Amino acid sequence: MKADRLRRFIDVHAWAGMISGLILFVAFFAGAINVFHHELHHWQALPAERVQPLDQDVFLERLIQRFPSAAERLFFQPGDDPAAMWKQDGEWRTAYASNFVTGGDFVEQPSSELADFINQLHYQLAIPAGGGLLNIGMTLMGFIAVLYGVALFSGLVIHWPKIGKELLALRHQGNVRRYWKNLHNLIGVVSLPFHLIMSITGAAMGLFTVMAVLLGALVFGPQLQGVIAEETEVWPAPQAVGEPLKMSLMADYLSAARHEVPGLEVAWVEVRGYGDSQGWLDVAGSVPGYLGHHAHVVLDPMLKPLRVISPASRNLNQASLSPVYSLHFGDYGGLPLKLMYFVLGLLGCLLFVSGNILWCERRSDRTGPSRASAFLLRLTLGVCVGVVSGVAVSFWVSKAGLHSPLAEQVLWLERLVFLLVLVPLVAWSLRASPLRFSAQWLRIMPWLYLAIPLLSVLLEGGRAWREGDVLLVNLLMLAMAGILWIVSRHFRKRVRLAEPHPLWVGRLSDDHPRHLADAELE
Amino acid sequence: MRVLAVVLLSLPLSVMLVGLLAAALPVPWSSWLVLMLLLVVALWMVLGLLSTLSERAWPVMAGLVAGNGVAALLLQTTSLYGGGS
Repeated sequence: MKADRLRRFIDVHAWAGMISGLILFVAFFAGAINVFHHELHHWQALPAERVQPLDQDVFLERLIQRFPSAAERLFFQPGDDPAAMWKQDGEWRTAYASNFVTGGDFVEQPSSELADFINQLHYQLAIPAGGGLLNIGMTLMGFIAVLYGVALFSGLVIHWPKIGKELLALRHQGNVRRYWKNLHNLIGVVSLPFHLIMSITGAAMGLFTVMAVLLGALVFGPQLQGVIAEETEVWPAPQAVGEPLKMSLMADYLSAARHEVPGLEVAWVEVRGYGDSQGWLDVAGSVPGYLGHHAHVVLDPMLKPLRVISPASRNLNQASLSPVYSLHFGDYGGLPLKLMYFVLGLLGCLLFVSGNILWCERRSDRTGPSRASAFLLRLTLGVCVGVVSGVAVSFWVSKAGLHSPLAEQVLWLERLVFLLVLVPLVAWSLRASPLRFSAQWLRIMPWLYLAIPLLSVLLEGGRAWREGDVLLVNLLMLAMAGILWIVSRHFRKRVRLAEPHPLWVGRLSDDHPRHLADAELE
Repeated sequence: MRVLAVVLLSLPLSVMLVGLLAAALPVPWSSWLVLMLLLVVALWMVLGLLSTLSERAWPVMAGLVAGNGVAALLLQTTSLYGGGS
């Protein structure tokens, strides 16, 4: 490839990566934790009451008596303490069987929504969705995913000719700057398939509404909306209210669904028109052993199957949609795959940070010290440290808050503290010496994550290691503390091995001589 | 600004190119909507990358505008808009 063409590819790679890098850091850091969304839901909950919760059928009856609007549409989740979600006055509400105390009264327990907050941070930067057609945060993430794809494709073109050489180029001897550059390239090359999957599926999910509007306006016309509904809905919503009827037992619905799809692991049941002859139930879950593992069995209230969608029987749209979700969420290969996604997500964070830092240092070397590169370096450090620390503090508030007199306020406190940590840290990073700021916070951050499992043990005793999901989240937080400690050690090692770049020591305003990287001097 | 303009112009082009592919393929377009969506996204990324490579902005912009116009005219010759699925 000609040198000037290669230079253009490098420029596009740098600019696209730089614009999207910080937002992608937030998405990947939250996403790495969000791989364990289900486990986090269990971790954040208060320990179950010792009293036996209601039977699932009695729970549903009581729920409909107490909240009649839930009969129209609810999502039921079977389990030790069955749960249901429904929309009331435009807001989603959740109730557990344990909320109905012995006398039949509904008592709402204080709860945490940490898992949902982390999820929202991942896919919409926790920007409130609003009630409009377009979810702003999600659409923004979709556009960022497209830029991320541009950075990936350009990176692939740049590195393809020397891909084999770069895989073996990571050495700690010699030039320290080159070590970090090689590390950036190595992570990018090794995890390229993961990143391609994330960028394409992330963009498709984030920009679904935009794409649907454009395809409708430019290509297919207004008919597209109806076709999308027809192709993606498992069954049409009931149009009219039928005769009241007594529902069968939930266990019978689950058993009928398993009869239709052997091996089905039920995740939830969508109930449309509870106690209505025109209603239906969609028993949704997974069939292990498939990449596109999602399955749905739609039943009428009398247990008659209306539709079966499973890996063995589905149309092309469902057969392509299911792997899109599986590949993005990493839920098709059990715990080992989830752990791999967790590690790849964190490596992605390292990729974005190192990319921004390399750009700042290189630009400063080529064109002399500039405010732009100093600002971006400081902003990068501030956002990264702020997000990592803010998430840790949200975990503290989620766990400690429910055991405190502020339990009722935990829902918004866990979000507020994230901002209260992030914003001052970003402001601080813009003023402080980057070297000192990083050194200080890299020393502090492992402790922030170590405190999470410690809080869990202190406040909930044996639950911290007896319940599988709680133990797993605690171990992950412990691992996070360990990873941050390793990063901190590497950072200190780099500082010992080589003189820091002028950008890192806040000498921008001095008449500092133009600094050439050792790599370029060679 | 230039990157933004290029990225915005390449989006409708990628949508219409995939629409033309849907018209050319002998299968109902409604049967592969999800693949179509993924293809639009991937094509948009590649078009966005290729369009930002040129040193000068105006030939790329002109090319994209012309490409959008030609694709829109070609789509008029198909029965996709408002036709059956």
